Amino acid sequence: MSQPEILNQSFELGYTYTRSTGPVIGRFMTELKKRNIVGIKASDGRVVVPPMEYDPDTAEELSEFVEVGEQGEIVSFAWVKEPRESHPLQQPFAWAMIKLDGADVPMIHCVAAPAESDLATGARVRAVWADETIGFITDIRCFELV
Amino acid sequence: MANLAAVVGIGQTKYMTKRTDVSIAGLLREAAFKALQDAELTWDDIDAVIIGKAPDMFEGVIMPEVYLTDALGCNGKPMLRVHTAGSVGGSTALVAASHVQSGTFKRVLTVAFEKQSESNAMWALSNAQPFSTHLNAGAGGYFAPIIREYMRRSKAPYDVGIKVAVKDRLHGARNPLAHLQKPDITMKEVEESFMLWDPIRFLESCPSSDGACAMVIANEELADKASKPPAWIRGVAMRSEPTMYAGREQVNPQAGRDCAADVYKQAGITDPRKDLDCAEVYVPFSWYEPMWLENLGFAPEGEGWKLTMEGATSLDEGGDIPWNCSGGVLSSNPIGASGMIRFAEAARQVRGDAGAHQVEGAKLALGHAYGGGAQFFAMWVVGAEKS
Repeated sequence: MSQPEILNQSFELGYTYTRSTGPVIGRFMTELKKRNIVGIKASDGRVVVPPMEYDPDTAEELSEFVEVGEQGEIVSFAWVKEPRESHPLQQPFAWAMIKLDGADVPMIHCVAAPAESDLATGARVRAVWADETIGFITDIRCFELV
Repeated sequence: MANLAAVVGIGQTKYMTKRTDVSIAGLLREAAFKALQDAELTWDDIDAVIIGKAPDMFEGVIMPEVYLTDALGCNGKPMLRVHTAGSVGGSTALVAASHVQSGTFKRVLTVAFEKQSESNAMWALSNAQPFSTHLNAGAGGYFAPIIREYMRRSKAPYDVGIKVAVKDRLHGARNPLAHLQKPDITMKEVEESFMLWDPIRFLESCPSSDGACAMVIANEELADKASKPPAWIRGVAMRSEPTMYAGREQVNPQAGRDCAADVYKQAGITDPRKDLDCAEVYVPFSWYEPMWLENLGFAPEGEGWKLTMEGATSLDEGGDIPWNCSGGVLSSNPIGASGMIRFAEAARQVRGDAGAHQVEGAKLALGHAYGGGAQFFAMWVVGAEKS
């Protein structure tokens, strides 16, 4: 039986989008611009960073912002040996779950470190701010070991 | 035989060009919360959530339901997303209703939305597709030739569309939630507005709106105990047909006629103009009123425009069968929500809760939505009484 001919065509589709962030994510972004990190208090008292608009358990609207530290500890991490172009750092780095001081839920960000062996669960890290902050998650360029 | 179900709560946002103060989640949340308040219920009283919106490419949030669960209190509950292009608001309501009518759930929340200010509806509506010629038309460009064919066949006077545009905006001026507020609009103003897609003028087109609409649908037992009058669902129907089939009748689509016949039969309607008190029908471009008047059996083929010109569909002219008392899609168009708004506004009428656009004593109303290349149809009939 002959193989069917498979159609093949390069195809690209793109649009420009805008986004309103609302009172919670918007506040988080605005604080980043000021080099502050804020979380939000959930119904069970836990501080969630980045903040959520609605409680994950009760669905109630959340509004009690809590400023958290720019330092924290690594809860878990994965080492990226060969960064790709789209990665935030071009030398080997780690993606990590970082529990900031005052937060109860870890946040994912990247950690710059000389080698994988320098990192460990429980290691202390601190935020490295971008030279110019614009109100976006990349205002934290990365975290580094304290 | 399906179980009885009824609308026991309705919530809508104020429709407007831009809701920059809220996220997409915040927009849906507002409508959903208002529906719960209207039903005097809380998130805990809801068994499942059914949401709908137009294509994901509009806002560029792919699978938005994934991130909307917490905003809609879906934690630990089933959630389902429905998708049938512009008719999605209607088909979402019907899927929600079917979950109650089947006895699967006692009470469901259904929400539909669009945040057009953050979207690319105009072009994302007719995306380029691999291995195909790009249509690149948008909705107006797609429907204009179909309208021209209707004008040719029916020999309708040129100003029927202009009349609809004025009538629906005057209706909209009675509805504080309507996006366009044009209480002083005139035929002359519409006629002089610029031509977008001949014969569709700027003011004969729907606006681009941000908004969400939500309903709580409950089974008979719970609806009997509801604090406000329920809108009993008396008939539900959906039909589809292939867009790209060149032999399709696009002016008076068979799927629309079949869908109407089905929903009327369930609701015991033999003469829709006489038996129904009002209708909320998806009219995004003015000429679709006379076209759908015929498609839905309110007038014989070729004569829909006569009802429009006589004022039969106008609340202000004391018409016997007012269409789109809320102002319709011509006054507010958050695309994904627009079908659900039709269904909800029909329910508001029979609940006697439509404020300044209430049809006095309305007992039976039609909600209608169409989508795609006028290929998807969704309809329901709601009544003040169970049968």
